Amino acid sequence: MAGMRARRSLREILQAAAPIALAVFVFGASFGVLAVAARLPAWSVVLMSVLVFAGSAQFAALGVINAGGTVLTAIFAGALLNLRFVATGIAVARSLPGGRLLRSLLAQLSIDESYAMSVRAGAPGPPDGRTLLVTGACLYAVWVFGTLIGALFGPVLGDPKRLGLDAAFPAGFVALLWPLLSGRHAVRCAIGGTVAALALAPFTPPGIPLAGAAVVGLWLAR
Amino acid sequence: MAGPLALALVLGLASLSFIMRATGSFLPNLPSAVTARTAGLAPALLAALVAIQVTGPNGLIHLDVKVPAVLLAGVLAALRAPFIVCVVAGALVAALLRAVFHLN
Repeated sequence: MAGMRARRSLREILQAAAPIALAVFVFGASFGVLAVAARLPAWSVVLMSVLVFAGSAQFAALGVINAGGTVLTAIFAGALLNLRFVATGIAVARSLPGGRLLRSLLAQLSIDESYAMSVRAGAPGPPDGRTLLVTGACLYAVWVFGTLIGALFGPVLGDPKRLGLDAAFPAGFVALLWPLLSGRHAVRCAIGGTVAALALAPFTPPGIPLAGAAVVGLWLAR
Repeated sequence: MAGPLALALVLGLASLSFIMRATGSFLPNLPSAVTARTAGLAPALLAALVAIQVTGPNGLIHLDVKVPAVLLAGVLAALRAPFIVCVVAGALVAALLRAVFHLN
């Protein structure tokens, strides 16, 4: 039928995912190292990757803990970053097989990378569900394995502060932020978020500056 | 961090993330004007997280070796260096400044 794309073979999908899988492995390993250095028990670090499967959210939660924030603030920071999955979830829902319940379970395989690959594979139509599932499953395995390796080898490294591992958090946030800064709106949101957080930090308990930044981000994103 | 507290962190974040990924299947198609706004969350929050990392316990900006670490990571990210390179370079700068100049 005209306009119908040929289904991509499993091999094609995996080949496209391979370089991303390598990057995700390294990201997982660095998360594992830093989480153990921030004195989280190794089992909880791996469990977090198994159950959360969202690099920037896990990294954000860890950054809050490392800076002396509470567990609630850390959950809050990570959850806010994951709010975008509501939007991507709507976009992929119709491309996934099964009823609503099965689709909501399969949607757990969406992360930024697998979502982006499914959008690219389905363009100009809706996201390609098969690409999302195959890429997502592959990246999930690599993410958990990378975290495990990092958490196992992290303690070998030594005193976190002497190694500058506390500075790794803001450095990592900048590295995650930069690729997002394409387009005027994103830059505006980043500046607005910074200003809101710095303005609120001296007067409010931890967590509120992040909430303020989130509100400003939603407000400026048009 | 104590085990039960770490478990609370993991389960709290995991359950909220699960709900967020699951809701898309139960929601009707929202107007794109609404869903597009969530695109502003990540840049605003990540920028705020950087800012908060360079504030002290009193909430005021506290200049230490994290500042040069952030600057270097920013330059490397602008040059499209991979994530791990930015992170390791940031940590190395901080470690070097501490070891050589005994900075905070």
